[in-house]
Amino acid sequence: MSESVLLTDSTQPEVEQAVGSLDGWAFERVAESDLAGAIAQPNVRAVVVTTDDPTKLRTVVERAHDNGIPVIVGCADDTARRRAVELKVEEWFRCPADADEISQRVRAAVGRGSPVASHATADRVENVEYEQMLHDSLTGLPTLPVMIERSRTLFKERGELVVLYLSFVRYSKIEEIYGWEKLDAVLETTAAAVREFLDDTSMSSSRVMVSFTNDDDFIFFHVPAVGVAAATENDITELVSRLQTHVGSRIEAQHGEDIAALFDIYVGRAHVYYNPKIRLERLIYRGIREAANASRSIEERERARRVADLRTSLRDRAVYIDYHPIVVTETKEIFGYEALARGVMRSLRSPEVMFDVAAEADLVWELSRLCRSRAIEGIESRLHGKELLFINVDPHDFSDPAFNELEIASPERVVIEITERTAIKDYPKFRDRLEAFRARGFRFAVDDAGSGYAGLGSIANLEPDFIKLDISLINAIDTNFIKQNLVETMVKFANDHGAMVIAEGVERAEEFNAVKQLGVHLVQGFYLHRPSHAATPPRKETVSA
Amino acid sequence: MRATARDVTEADWAGEMSDERHPPILVVDDNHDNAEIIRQYLEIRGYPISVAHDGDEALSMFERVRPALVLLDVMMPGRDGWEVCRMMKQHPTLGKTVRVIMVTALDEWQDKREALQIGADDYVEKPFDLPTLATTVQRNLAMQRTPS
Repeated sequence: MSESVLLTDSTQPEVEQAVGSLDGWAFERVAESDLAGAIAQPNVRAVVVTTDDPTKLRTVVERAHDNGIPVIVGCADDTARRRAVELKVEEWFRCPADADEISQRVRAAVGRGSPVASHATADRVENVEYEQMLHDSLTGLPTLPVMIERSRTLFKERGELVVLYLSFVRYSKIEEIYGWEKLDAVLETTAAAVREFLDDTSMSSSRVMVSFTNDDDFIFFHVPAVGVAAATENDITELVSRLQTHVGSRIEAQHGEDIAALFDIYVGRAHVYYNPKIRLERLIYRGIREAANASRSIEERERARRVADLRTSLRDRAVYIDYHPIVVTETKEIFGYEALARGVMRSLRSPEVMFDVAAEADLVWELSRLCRSRAIEGIESRLHGKELLFINVDPHDFSDPAFNELEIASPERVVIEITERTAIKDYPKFRDRLEAFRARGFRFAVDDAGSGYAGLGSIANLEPDFIKLDISLINAIDTNFIKQNLVETMVKFANDHGAMVIAEGVERAEEFNAVKQLGVHLVQGFYLHRPSHAATPPRKETVSA
Repeated sequence: MRATARDVTEADWAGEMSDERHPPILVVDDNHDNAEIIRQYLEIRGYPISVAHDGDEALSMFERVRPALVLLDVMMPGRDGWEVCRMMKQHPTLGKTVRVIMVTALDEWQDKREALQIGADDYVEKPFDLPTLATTVQRNLAMQRTPS
């Protein structure tokens, strides 16, 4: 087969080196003045031009495009770059560039196909769409159709394929609580950890491929090497538990323990045997479905076990409270603490998981009662001076006959946080209950404010003393001006209504400075304090008595 | 040399503007007059500008221009600004770094939430004045130079 030729006028050695890393490509250098003429030669498949003569450049580009050959321009300066873009060349790079960059540009230009003037726009748009279809932009992993293509030959040769379906259960929860940007970051970490793990595992001797379903699940294809038995059930169980530990520790290191506590993998497995009578795609898709079902049934089993854990926890009152300081933005003094309930049992450590399980088992009120009574213990043991205790109360809890305004002895020290996420069904009745609490001296905070599309109207209805901004608004607020604008609006609204704004989830100094500048009154987040349940409150570390 | 910012003239720009401080910008607006006004105003300030007049053209130029920043009109025939923004932000190589400024009247809370969801970084309210536009461009480019 004849080689593809890369034609160039460049004398830079990097261009020649770049061709060296392109498979099946040959390199041909001609003088600047001969370049246009040489394009018509057979086998020329791309042209790299570095001339700074605009007329010569135009001639080369026109000639190349007439012949359906893509052009890559090496630009010495901005003017050259502009010229190249105006001439609608396929790719450009800035001179000097290293060989890697150049070969990448050549590959991209060729991959985009030959330009046909009238269809050029449509083709390029399609190309943008196409590239996005092939690889998941977040994880960089190939999408399923790509992976099926790649495994086709291997699967035929070896005759069998093991599909592992990795279902990451609570990733949707991360998105719900922290916003899509956080989930994107967590998925990136996950994909990197999975790849790292695969490079390291014993199964890498055979072929393992990963794909990502664009939701939150990963699919592994394991094609055992010839002469090696496919992984057994035990191998896979062991592999999964190591993978779980590995990914879990990476997520904890990068995103903190709260997010790591939400993380769980369930792995389903299916064995697919090659059958020449059945279309290969169908075989693989069936295998994937079977593996996905298997992962779900494992999840079901695990759920049942957790419900049992929860019943035990309720009986033994096995819930403890972490107190997360809320500080005054200006002075960084502690203003109060949010009580965060955690399960003593490992499987119920995360409050989100615990309440999920409770909802399934119809134990929400019972769990809420336990969490409240535990949290209130902190009024005596935790609070100093005028510090307040913030406790989370679900709007549905107000319908619980056991929850009334007399349950808590010192209402003036308690702020009840009500989440904006839960829809309130019977609004007039809910307001009546709220009033009864308010009359006793309780204060209210709207939690997760701004999490939905609803604007300030729904917040105004609750007449809160505090407005807790949704974490997704704070995450990376320093670089996003739309978030800054929304928070500014909220602060103004609070100031007009005599309320205070609390920014939750402040993790970095930049975020702290941004919310401070926007006039946010109070701040809570890892940047200042981590939640703690130690007997000594964190204030002792900074303020000596 | 004076430390203050000097006035940028056409001659300066044709010569050698610092590439880092003046990276390429893609302006997308179906109204040719608007696009032209923005182009001229920003070019005089030293930014290399490319112009597209609809969503498809913007996407087709995206990989070629590799803009650091996109000024994107929301209301366009065909692919609207939201869709273009989403696709740019999902681009495997350029999506992570490009900053997208939506040109629209986002006065409602829910519009801004929508813009956040789509991945937009900032917005300019229409009708805008040119100095505001320049400030918005500058603050977004400053963000890009100091990635978090």
